[in-house]
Amino acid sequence: MSTVALKEQDSHTHEHHHKESFVSKYIFSMDHKMISKQFLITGIIMGVIGMGMSMLFRLQLAWPDEQFGILEMLLGKWAVDGKLDPNFYMGLVTIHGTIMVFYVLTAGLSGTFSNLLIPLQVGARDMASPFLNMLSYWFFFLSSVVLMSSVFIETGPASAGWTVYPPLSALEKAVPGSGLGMTLWLVAIALFIVSALFGGINYISTVLNMRTKGMSMNRMPLTIWAFLFTAILGVLSFPVLLGASLFLIFDRSFGTSFYLSDIYLDGIGALENVGGSPVLYQHLFWFLGHPEVYIILLPALGITSEVISTNARKPIFGYSAMVISLASISFLSFIVWGHHMFITGMNPFLGSVFMILTLIIAVPSAVKAFNYLATLWRGNLRLTPAMLFSIGLVSFFISGGLTGIYLGNAALDIQMHDSYFVVAHFHLVMGSAAIFGMMAGIYHWFPRMYGRMMNNTLGYFHFWITFITAYLVFFPMHFMGLAGVPRRYYQFTLMEDFSIWGDVNKLITVAALVGGFAQILFLYNFFNSIFRGKKSTQNPWQSNTLEWTSPIEVRLHGNWPKELPTVYRGPYEYSRPDRDEDFFPQHIKDEESPEVLYTTKTKVAPKKVVLEEESNVFFTAIKRLFGLSR
Amino acid sequence: MAQNKIKDRLPLIAPAKFNLWLFMLSSSMLFAAFLSAYIVQRPDSIAKQTWTVFNLPVYFFYSLIIAMLSSVTMQLAYRAAKNDELAKNKQLIIVTLLLGLLFTLSQYLGWRELLHLDLTFVNPRPEDISASYVWVITVIHFVHVLGGIVLLSIAWVKTAQLNIHKKKLNFMSITNTYWHFVGLLWFILYFFIYFAR
Amino acid sequence: MKILSRTFTFNILIKKLLILLVGAFVTLLSHAQALTNVIEPPKEFDPSSWNWVNIFIIILVLLIVLVIARAFDIGGLAEKITGKKIVSSHKINGYVSLVVLILGLFGVWWELVNHGKLLLLWDAASEHGADLDSMFMWTFGFTFVVFIITEILLFYFLFRYHYREDRKAEYYFHNNKLEIMWTIIPAIVLTFLVLRGFTVWTKITQTPNKDAQEIEIFGYQFGWKARYAGEDKQLGESSFTLISGTNPLGLAVESEATTLKSNLESEILDLKSILASSPDSIRLWRAALNSMESKGLGNAYVEEHKLLKEKVLDGESGAYANQIEKDIMRKETNVKRVIAYLSKATIFNKSSYDDRVTTEIILLKNKPYLFLFRARDVIHSAYMPEFRVQMNCVPGMSTVFPFTPIKTTEEARISKGNPAFDYYLYCNKICGSAHYNMKIKIVVLGTESEYQTWMLAQAKVVPPAIEAVPASAKDSLSVLPTIVSNP
Repeated sequence: MSTVALKEQDSHTHEHHHKESFVSKYIFSMDHKMISKQFLITGIIMGVIGMGMSMLFRLQLAWPDEQFGILEMLLGKWAVDGKLDPNFYMGLVTIHGTIMVFYVLTAGLSGTFSNLLIPLQVGARDMASPFLNMLSYWFFFLSSVVLMSSVFIETGPASAGWTVYPPLSALEKAVPGSGLGMTLWLVAIALFIVSALFGGINYISTVLNMRTKGMSMNRMPLTIWAFLFTAILGVLSFPVLLGASLFLIFDRSFGTSFYLSDIYLDGIGALENVGGSPVLYQHLFWFLGHPEVYIILLPALGITSEVISTNARKPIFGYSAMVISLASISFLSFIVWGHHMFITGMNPFLGSVFMILTLIIAVPSAVKAFNYLATLWRGNLRLTPAMLFSIGLVSFFISGGLTGIYLGNAALDIQMHDSYFVVAHFHLVMGSAAIFGMMAGIYHWFPRMYGRMMNNTLGYFHFWITFITAYLVFFPMHFMGLAGVPRRYYQFTLMEDFSIWGDVNKLITVAALVGGFAQILFLYNFFNSIFRGKKSTQNPWQSNTLEWTSPIEVRLHGNWPKELPTVYRGPYEYSRPDRDEDFFPQHIKDEESPEVLYTTKTKVAPKKVVLEEESNVFFTAIKRLFGLSR
Repeated sequence: MAQNKIKDRLPLIAPAKFNLWLFMLSSSMLFAAFLSAYIVQRPDSIAKQTWTVFNLPVYFFYSLIIAMLSSVTMQLAYRAAKNDELAKNKQLIIVTLLLGLLFTLSQYLGWRELLHLDLTFVNPRPEDISASYVWVITVIHFVHVLGGIVLLSIAWVKTAQLNIHKKKLNFMSITNTYWHFVGLLWFILYFFIYFAR
Repeated sequence: MKILSRTFTFNILIKKLLILLVGAFVTLLSHAQALTNVIEPPKEFDPSSWNWVNIFIIILVLLIVLVIARAFDIGGLAEKITGKKIVSSHKINGYVSLVVLILGLFGVWWELVNHGKLLLLWDAASEHGADLDSMFMWTFGFTFVVFIITEILLFYFLFRYHYREDRKAEYYFHNNKLEIMWTIIPAIVLTFLVLRGFTVWTKITQTPNKDAQEIEIFGYQFGWKARYAGEDKQLGESSFTLISGTNPLGLAVESEATTLKSNLESEILDLKSILASSPDSIRLWRAALNSMESKGLGNAYVEEHKLLKEKVLDGESGAYANQIEKDIMRKETNVKRVIAYLSKATIFNKSSYDDRVTTEIILLKNKPYLFLFRARDVIHSAYMPEFRVQMNCVPGMSTVFPFTPIKTTEEARISKGNPAFDYYLYCNKICGSAHYNMKIKIVVLGTESEYQTWMLAQAKVVPPAIEAVPASAKDSLSVLPTIVSNP
C-alpha cells in the first residue's frame, strides 16, 4: 500500500536516465521529441507518396494520348497500355488530396512541430499526457496504413475527391472506388480523427497548463500561439467530421438515408432511400473543412514567424497584432464554411452572409503579411535555407491569399467555383505555403532534433528549384481557371475549348516533375544529415527561445537535466541596442551574459572572419556574370 | 543519478483533468453536430413527409431520472472522499455504479420499445430518418455512458485498495466530472428530442 | 591570388561560351518559329504558338541553374583557394532573389500578355455576366497592385538587407500608426468589394422575373438532357420513382407508370423464383466447381474458375440470397410508390405529355430563362462558363439559376473568330468515371422563327396520336415509341 502511495507522490518528479529498451525508446516511445520524429518521418513518407501520385496524374493531363510503359509496369491493370484508367485517375486525385491535407500537412506538420516545440518552448518536461501522445502517433500510423492499403485493392481507392461528397461516395454502384476503397478511406479518417483529437487535447493542455515559471502567455513564442489555436480548431472541428463520416458509414453499410434521397441508378433502379440531404454532408464536412485549412496553415505561419524573427535578427513586428490576427482568423474560420457551398443552391441570403464573413478574414491575413514585411525591413537577414523557405511561405501566402478574395466573393465564385482557379488558389495558399512552412521548420529545428546540421548548399538548391517550379506549376493554373477549365477532369482533349491549354498543361507537368524530383535533394540531405551531418553547436542560430537551452547532444526524456528554465522576457529580443550580442535568450536574467547556456561545448559562432577585400572579389565576379562591370 | 530527482512546479490543474475537460468539449461538438444536422434536416423532411413524429419511449425519461439521481450520489461520493469518509465513499460509488447499470437497463428497454413501434434504425421504412437520428444519438450517448461505467468500476476497485482519499482525489474528481457530463448530456439530448420531435 | 584570377578567366570564358550558346539557341528556335508561321497560318485561337513557352522555360532554367551553380562554384572555389571563408551565402542568395524577382515579374507580364487574352473576361454571353466581369476587373485591379508591390518589397528586402557582419538590425518592433493603417486600408477596400459583390450576387440570385421561360436541365451519369414545356407552358411533374428505361426523366406519364409497375412486378416474381431455387442452383454450382477442380481445369480456365468460385462462396455464405432479398425489397418499395402515385391521379395531369426532351439546349437571344436543375444519381454541377452560370444539381433537391443570353452562337463565332465555336454546358462536380466527358451543346438563336422551327422538330414526350388512345387500350400497345434513347 505504502509503495503505491509513495509512487503516486513522486509522480511529478522525474527520474531521468532510466533504462530504456529499443522498443520503448524508438517505437512505443513516450518522449515527445521521439514522437515528433516519428510524425515527421511518417509525414515525409506520406508526402513522397502523395507527391508521386500528383506526378502520375500530371503526366496524364499533359500527354493524355501518349502511352507510358512505365505506368503499366508500376500500376498494372490501372494503366493498361500505359494509359491511366479514368477511375484510377480519380482515385489518385482523391488519395493525393487526402494524404496532403490530412497526413502530411495536418499530422506531418502540426504533429511534428507541436510535439517537438510545445514542451521545449514553454519549458515543460513533456506533454500533459505522454501516453495519449504516443497513442496519437500510433493511431496516425494505423490510419496511414489503412489508407495506403486502399490503393492496392481490387476495386481501387476512394475516388470521389478528397471531400467525398455523397451520393457518389455512398453508392458502390455509382463508381467502383465507392466500394471497399471508400470504406477503408472512412476507417482511415476515423482513426485519423482519434489521433488528431488525442494530439490536440494534449497540445492545448500543455500550453495552457504546463508553462514554466515566467512564461506568461504574452511571452510565448508565436509558434506556440499558432499551435495552440491549431489545436483548438482541431478539437472543436474534428468531432464534427467524425459525426459526418459516421452518418456516411451508416448510409453505406446499414442502409440509412441521412444523405440519400430520390436516387435512380442505372442498372439498379430507384433506391429506397428518401428524405435525406446530400447538402447536409457538405455542411458538416466544411464545418471541419474550413478550419482544417487553418489547421494546416497556422502552424506554418507560426514557424515562419519564429524563423523570420530569428534570422532577421530583429523582433517580430507587432507581436500582439500577430496574436490577435491568429485568434481572429481562428474564430472566423468557424463561421465561413458556407463559402465552399455558394453554388449548392443554398439560400442566397445565407450566401451573402458567408461572403461578408469570409472577406473579413482577409483583414487579419493582410495584417500578418504586412507584419512579416515590416519584420524584414532593416533587418540583418541571415538567408539560411529555413529563412528562405519562410520567405517563400510569405510569398505564397500573399499570392494565394489574394486570390481568396475572388473566391470568397459569392458572385465571382459562380464562375470560378471548382475551376482550375480554385486549384491554383489553394495549392498556393495552403499547399505550397504550408509545405514551405514545414520545410522551414525542418531546416531550422533539424539540429534540435538530431544534433546535426543539414547541408546548406543543398538546401539552397532545394529551395530555389522548389520555389520556382511551384510558381511555374500553379501560376498558369489561374489563367486556365479564368478560362473556365474545370478541375478533376481526366483529360481535356475531348473539350475543344479546353484543349488549347494542352501546352500549358505540358509546361505545368514539366515543372511539377522538376519540382518533384528536386525533393530528392531534400530527402538525401535530410537522411544523410541525420547520420553524417556536421555536429551542431548548442544554439546554432543564436536563437532566444527555450528549446535551445535543453541539451541537444544527448536525448533526455525530461528535456532539462536540472531545474526547468525560468523565463524573464519575450521571445523576440533580437538586436537590442543596449546589448553587444544581437540576441538575448529568454531564460537569461538581465545581469547575465548568454555564455552561461547549459552545455559543455558551447562555442559562440566564429566572428569577423570576412576579409573585405576578398568579399569584393566575389562581388565583382557576380557583377561580371551579369555583365554589369568589366 | 539520484540527484536528478528535481521537484518541478506543479501545473495549476492536474493534466489528466485538463485533458478530460478538453475531451468533453470535443465530444460536445460531436453531439452539437448531430443536433444541428437534426435541426437542419427536420423541416426539410417534414416538408417531404419523410419524418415520422413519435413520442420518445417513457423509459428514456426514466433514464433521465436515473441519471440525475446518480449524479447526486456521485457528488455525495465525491464529497465523502473529500472528507476522508472512505466507507461512505465506497458505498456511494457502488450505488452510483448500480444506478449506471440501471440506466443501461432502462435504455435497453427504451430501445426495445422503439423496435416494437417499428422505429428501427433502417428497415423497413428507410425514409423515416427521424428514428435513425434518435438511434444514432442515443447509442453514441450510451457509448459515453459505458466509458463512465468503466471509470466508476475503476474507482470502485481503487476504493477497495484504499487508493482514493482526501489527498488522492484526482481520479475521483475525474470520474465525478465525467459522470456529471454524461448525465447533463442525456438531460440536454432528451429534452432536445422531446421538444423538437 | 594568381590561381584565383586564372580560375576567373576560365570562368569568364565559360560564361561567354554559354551566352553564345543560349543566343544561338534562341535565334534558332525563333527562326523555327518563323518557319512554322510561314507553313501554317497562325490561328487566332492558338495560344500564341507554344514554342515560346519552351524558349521561356529553357532560358529561365538555364539562367537559374547557371546563376546558382556559378555563384556557389565561385564561392566554393575561392574559399578552397584562400582557405578562408570569404563568400557569404547570404549575399549570394540576396542576389539570386533579385534575379528571381526580375524573372518572376517578367513571367507574370508574359502570362498576362499571352494567356490573358484567352480568359473569359470581356465577352460574357449573358446579361449578368457583364456585372461579374466588371466585378472581376475591380478585384483584379486591387489584388494585382498589392501582389506586385508586396512581392517586389519581399524580394527586394531579401537582397537589400541580407546579412552583413558589420551591421545590426534595427530594434524596431512596433508602430501603432502603421499597423492601424494596414488594418484599415484593406478593410476599406474589402468593404467596397463586399458591397459590390453583395449587390451583384443579390441581383443575380434574387431578382425574380415572371416572364422567364423555365427549362429543366437534367443531369445523369454521364450526360445531360433538357426539357422544354409544350403548348401549355408548363413543365409536367416528375419523380425518380417513375424513371424507367423508356422514361429516363421519370415524367408523370400514366402509361409509362403502369408499364413500369407491371415490369417491376414481373421482375419481382422472377427474382422470387430465383430465390426459391437458389439452394438447388448453389448445389449445382458447387458440383460444377468440384468437377472442375477434380479434373484439374482450374488452371486452364482461370477466369471461369474464379467467377464460379466466387458464386459458390457467395451462395454458401448466404450473401447471394441476401442480395436477391434486398433487390426484391427495393423493387417492392418502388412498386408501392408507383401505385401510390397512380392512385394520386393529380400528378398525371398530362401537363408533361407535350413537354419536349432534347439533347441540345436551344435558347433565344435576349430572352430571360430560369434553368431548373435536377440530378438523377449523384451530384452534378451545370457549368456554362461562357454565360457565367454554374449551379449544382443535387438528387432530391431542386436548384435554379436565372439568366438571359445576349449573344447568339453566330455572334460568338464571329467575335471569337472561330467558325467551329459552340457554347457548352459542362459537368463541374466529380461524378464518376466519365465526368470529363459530360457535356451538352447550347445553341443561342437570334430569331423567334428559327427557334420555333427547331422546337417543332422536337418530338413530344407522348405524341398526340398515342395520347388519344384510351387508357385501357394503351397497355395493348406493346412498345411505346422511345422518345429519348436510354443513356
